[in-house]
Amino acid sequence: MIETIGIWVAAFLTLSIFSFLYKDNPFYKFAEHLYIGVSMGYGIPLMYKLSFIPFVYKPIFKMHEFILIIPALMGIMFWFRFSRKWGWMARYPMVFFMGIAGMGVPLSMHASVLVQMRSAMLPWENFNIFLIFLGTITILMYFYFSKAHTGLYGKFTKIGIWYMMIGFGASFGYTVMARISLLIGRIQFLMYDWLGFGH
Amino acid sequence: MSWFEKLQNLDRRYIYIVVALCIIIPFTFTFHTNTYTTEPVENIYQLIDSYAGREDRAILLSIEHDPSTSPELQPMEIAIVRHCFERGVKVFFLTFRITASPIIDYVINTTKEEFADIQSGVDYVNFGYKPAALYLPIILGMGDDIAEAVETDSEGRKLNNLEIMKGIKNYNEMNLVVEFSGSSYGFGWITYARSRFGANVAAGITAVMAADTYPYIQSGQLVGVLGGLKGAAEYEKLVDLFAVNQLEFSKEQEKQTFPRINNDDILYKFKTARIGMNAQNVAHVMIIVFILIGNIGYFLERRRKNKQGEGS
Repeated sequence: MIETIGIWVAAFLTLSIFSFLYKDNPFYKFAEHLYIGVSMGYGIPLMYKLSFIPFVYKPIFKMHEFILIIPALMGIMFWFRFSRKWGWMARYPMVFFMGIAGMGVPLSMHASVLVQMRSAMLPWENFNIFLIFLGTITILMYFYFSKAHTGLYGKFTKIGIWYMMIGFGASFGYTVMARISLLIGRIQFLMYDWLGFGH
Repeated sequence: MSWFEKLQNLDRRYIYIVVALCIIIPFTFTFHTNTYTTEPVENIYQLIDSYAGREDRAILLSIEHDPSTSPELQPMEIAIVRHCFERGVKVFFLTFRITASPIIDYVINTTKEEFADIQSGVDYVNFGYKPAALYLPIILGMGDDIAEAVETDSEGRKLNNLEIMKGIKNYNEMNLVVEFSGSSYGFGWITYARSRFGANVAAGITAVMAADTYPYIQSGQLVGVLGGLKGAAEYEKLVDLFAVNQLEFSKEQEKQTFPRINNDDILYKFKTARIGMNAQNVAHVMIIVFILIGNIGYFLERRRKNKQGEGS
């Protein structure tokens, strides 16, 4: 029974959101506001149940792992951002987080730059590797703006532009697929779960 | 005004109706279309399949998305979990995103309904939600000892006490991490687990992100990628064709055989992506036609304006 009511409410809200495609209307406004409210209302108890209770309350108060009071206090210090007088206290946990992020810099450099550079420097064993090499070089040339894009240099940068256009086209094609997939997900819900097609 | 020029000024609401019909009609009359698999998907399938029945191998599914991207990502998660359950591959679940926690439960329960013998703690274990602040300590810690880094599962059980952890110590045994994400959030696994410990990493991502991952496939940092609904449909097919029949992967057989999706042999939840791809195919053809019409109309309009300019 509860599940059926849930499906009907979800179907009503889905159709209310879709009604915006015709024009703005009170149903859409209602669903939009409800969505924002529910997102917050859903997140806070979930955070309390899955984060605060198992990682703060239970370890400190039940298992007496008092060392965890330090990170808990650092977490509370974030809230001082809302005070003009005590706002400076929020900087300390922020600095701590930045330090942790800094820890990842060498490995990020390795994964995102060095390995990628290495894979662009392979011997031309097949035509695809040559194409990758050509694309990398010509696009880098395009983004070098201290030299005019004319003559032979301009011809290379043109190839770079073509590479980028093909890349944008591929991304756009994938984006269309992603957006249609989301619509498909909703239509599947309406047709199979709500209207009962395929059962 | 020509027909093409009239189309240029068409009310967008007519286009919405056409898009809606292109998606609703294929669902109303489910038909069969062939799904062809690609190398990035086959690589993931083959690697997981190579762990079948092995005590000393496991995979980790890191699910890092919320319900907004579920239509694309959930079918691929269900397909991989089904593959693991069919072939006896140990599978772990983990998330650093609080809204993904119920999604993990949904994926496990939906798949498990069809496998009476599958047990939590024996065949799979859900590590559950871990706060994002523990992202680095856990990923790096798993390189030494998974049970020590994660400590407890979602039910509060010590990992060391679970049967599934026998023979599983670190990334040497849990040698594949598949990250499901709607953003670039998951590249942490490449940065830390791959670079530092040499773990195999694969990604299940929304189609929007798929193009960005190809450099990582080419460099070998990603074993493979499931890109959007198409990737999910490909994996569903491989599971139906090989895992369900307890067969080894064969490219020749894959090219020639296409499990029918328009009859009841396969449960709906295990062919969601392939049925969705029917609508996707129709919608893509329609969008190509719209783009062609739009461009022809644009060039006709430009030619007319040029002629008017020459005349005046």
